[in-house]
Amino acid sequence: MSRGNSELDRLRDGRTELENHYIDELVSGRLSRRDFLRRGSVIGMSAPLLGAIVAACGSSSKSTSSSGAASTSSAPATKGGTLRIASVTPAAAVNPLTVSDAGGLTMLNQTGEFLIFDSNIKLQLQPMLALSWSPNTDGSVWTFKLRPNVKFSNGAAMTSADVVYTMQQLSDPKNASNALSAFGGVLMPSGVKAIDPLTVQFTLEAPNGNFPYAVSSDNYNAIIVPKGTDFGSWQSTFIGTGAFKLGSYTTNVGATFVPNPNYWGPQPLLSMTSFKFYSSQAPMILALQGNDVDVIAQFTPAGAAAILNSPQYKIIKLPSANHRELSMRNDIAPFTDPRVRQAVAYTLDRPGAVAALLSGDGTVANDYPFGPRFPSTDPTVPQRTQNIAMAKQLLAAAGHPNGFSTTLDSEIYEEIPELAQVIQQDAAKAGITIKLNITNQTLYYGKSTYGNSNWLDGTMSLVDYGDRGSPNVYLTAPLTTTGTWNAARFHNKEYDGLVKQYVAALDLTAQRTIAGKIQRLLLQETPVVYPYWIDGLTASTPNVSGLNPTSIAQLYLNTASKSA
Amino acid sequence: MARFILKRLGLALITLWLLSVIVFVLGQVLPSDPGRSILGPLAAPSAVHALDHQLGVDKPILTQYWHWITHFPGTSYQYQAPIGPILTSALGRSLKLAIFAFVILVPLGIIGGVVSALNAGKPIDRTISIVGQSMLTVPEFVSGIVLIVVFSVELGWLPVSATAPTGSGFFTSLKYLILPVIPLVMVLFGYIARMARVGTIEALESDYARTAILKGLPRGVMIRRHVLRNSLLPTITVVATQTGYLIGGLVVVETLFRYNGIGLLTYNAANQHDIPMLEACVLTIGVVYMVVTLVADIAFSLLNPRIRLKAAE
Repeated sequence: MSRGNSELDRLRDGRTELENHYIDELVSGRLSRRDFLRRGSVIGMSAPLLGAIVAACGSSSKSTSSSGAASTSSAPATKGGTLRIASVTPAAAVNPLTVSDAGGLTMLNQTGEFLIFDSNIKLQLQPMLALSWSPNTDGSVWTFKLRPNVKFSNGAAMTSADVVYTMQQLSDPKNASNALSAFGGVLMPSGVKAIDPLTVQFTLEAPNGNFPYAVSSDNYNAIIVPKGTDFGSWQSTFIGTGAFKLGSYTTNVGATFVPNPNYWGPQPLLSMTSFKFYSSQAPMILALQGNDVDVIAQFTPAGAAAILNSPQYKIIKLPSANHRELSMRNDIAPFTDPRVRQAVAYTLDRPGAVAALLSGDGTVANDYPFGPRFPSTDPTVPQRTQNIAMAKQLLAAAGHPNGFSTTLDSEIYEEIPELAQVIQQDAAKAGITIKLNITNQTLYYGKSTYGNSNWLDGTMSLVDYGDRGSPNVYLTAPLTTTGTWNAARFHNKEYDGLVKQYVAALDLTAQRTIAGKIQRLLLQETPVVYPYWIDGLTASTPNVSGLNPTSIAQLYLNTASKSA
Repeated sequence: MARFILKRLGLALITLWLLSVIVFVLGQVLPSDPGRSILGPLAAPSAVHALDHQLGVDKPILTQYWHWITHFPGTSYQYQAPIGPILTSALGRSLKLAIFAFVILVPLGIIGGVVSALNAGKPIDRTISIVGQSMLTVPEFVSGIVLIVVFSVELGWLPVSATAPTGSGFFTSLKYLILPVIPLVMVLFGYIARMARVGTIEALESDYARTAILKGLPRGVMIRRHVLRNSLLPTITVVATQTGYLIGGLVVVETLFRYNGIGLLTYNAANQHDIPMLEACVLTIGVVYMVVTLVADIAFSLLNPRIRLKAAE
């Protein structure tokens, strides 16, 4: 123990106050080992340093692999061969600036890399093109040190000028940049500058303790491209810094990638990757069963029982913040009364929905956007469970002893129509009659602005939210007074203030304290019901190993191999 | 005949222009816009406006239509690439699938119908009719999935996908098309066989057939020379009208068998508000449909002298 302490003291030397604070939290047991690794990575502590600190604290014997990591590396690594991957057809041109769909994201990361990789398997940020990053004292300025000797697939060296160009294009409000949904109110082009060829500094619009997520693989558009890149024609070259470079790309049909000889890391084991595009999930599953592909990049449990229940396939299951939100218009009766909103929440059988709609591949959520994916979640807040008697009691107190009728708008997407039916049936048990209006996504989202969208204007609406490494977007856009996706019209000054504090906080203890307050406030107000968190799923044949997927459809293959 | 063809071509051009106007106007009243479709529902409004401006879809509708006319087929909003090559390869794939389906379907349907008519009321007639009608009611996605599970997954005889690897030879490509063609044949066999059966029975009951029998013509010769020629007329019409479906209406089969034909391209273009691509697809399907019906009319007139004479008048 004394040897461990002296080693720990040595490791503490030269660390910042914030880093030492996290070490204290780990030593005292207030921070679990996993949370320490996750938070430490956010503030830029390197993986070897985090590992050494954990080891010095006497917990090095535990494995760091999740079930997903274990399953993906069980087959022996073999050099050579072509890996065949089934992927969703990109909905539009593969343009790093505009890509928003799963198919496009999968393509983007085949040759593109981010400053930081948000690993769903390890649940922590890992250096990619940035070796380290650190904030100033209040988290309003972040400095990133870049990995040296990185080259693009065209042979050109990657420097801070490329990073500045990429980030300025992505954060420019004048551009058609999809990354603006993450950079809006956080970063402006003028806030990005090169300090030297291997150092980039980001000066933010406001302090932000989770900023590293905004330049990580979480912000899926943010792959680093060469300075001066014409994003519109990027699809013809796919120039990036990744382990693979473009072989061929055929719109709507597929793509091939071959090893990039200029890659900064070890050369990939595969001699080629071949992506086949599919318009829907059912043919992908049949293709895996029929040995037409080796891997399904990403799939959902609905309609996938044939591979989920078969021992013939390896399933990589990733913890994810992918979820659904059932919002109720706080400005339209009867939802103006929080007791009515709580009553709706009490009718829902969440474990039943996870079992029936997700085949168990998910986690029950409480009525706030904090969950197991985020270390700042306060685990002491009690879980809301189905309680029909309580729902009826609340309705009676609110003046609706015989229930009421309303309409729920939703979209045809994955299991959402079935979830809407579950909500309808559960609510009926408390006397609430819900009429469903389920339309295709084009009609449902409309223009995605207030007054032009079933999603944002419906009395009740049910929508999907994809995975993010930090809850910032879930806390702001759908719930703050100025939020752009506030379908519930939830306007609460106390909440707005708490969110501002949460976003700015660098310290995990402070974040968790504020998170607890937010969680309790949202349970009380219940502007939105959160049924469950959905795991990310990737499938392969047993002879494939080394896959590195994320729950937002990225699939890194630099360590992948396929045995005979 | 030349006048007949020229008249039909003139009408076809007017129809195509009207079609382009209708599709363009309908494209404008669809909810959402191309920028939102490409960037996704959660994109910032400023990004959507910037992309809409870049694509030119914020300009007046007449300006957009004129731009489309003068740059036909133009650039796809969705793929940010020239429409020509994407459309040509999709059309090529659809034509290949349609031709292969016709090669199997038409002889099979006609033989089934004629055999049924020649044995009207007998067990073989009833069997063909019941089988044909039953297959007609099975949706393509059901028969397609069953075929894939049986012949690809369980037996491993045929590929799951309809897209052959790049550089595959003619016969390899055909092997990949066998499974997707079967659901199409199943859906259309009953229809064509029924028309062929009705046509054959009518021809068999006609005065000229009776005369041929009375003058001592052998039954086989009478059927070949007099009955088949006339019984095929309604069948030709049916085959021609199914061309539009076989070229542009195979979204389900194309999705299930991973075959990117013009049907799927059209469907995606409509979903993504890719109006130039949608226009190009609809007009291409329209042209194919009109060419096939023109060929059918010519074949019809060649088989039926009365129509030829009427056209000449």
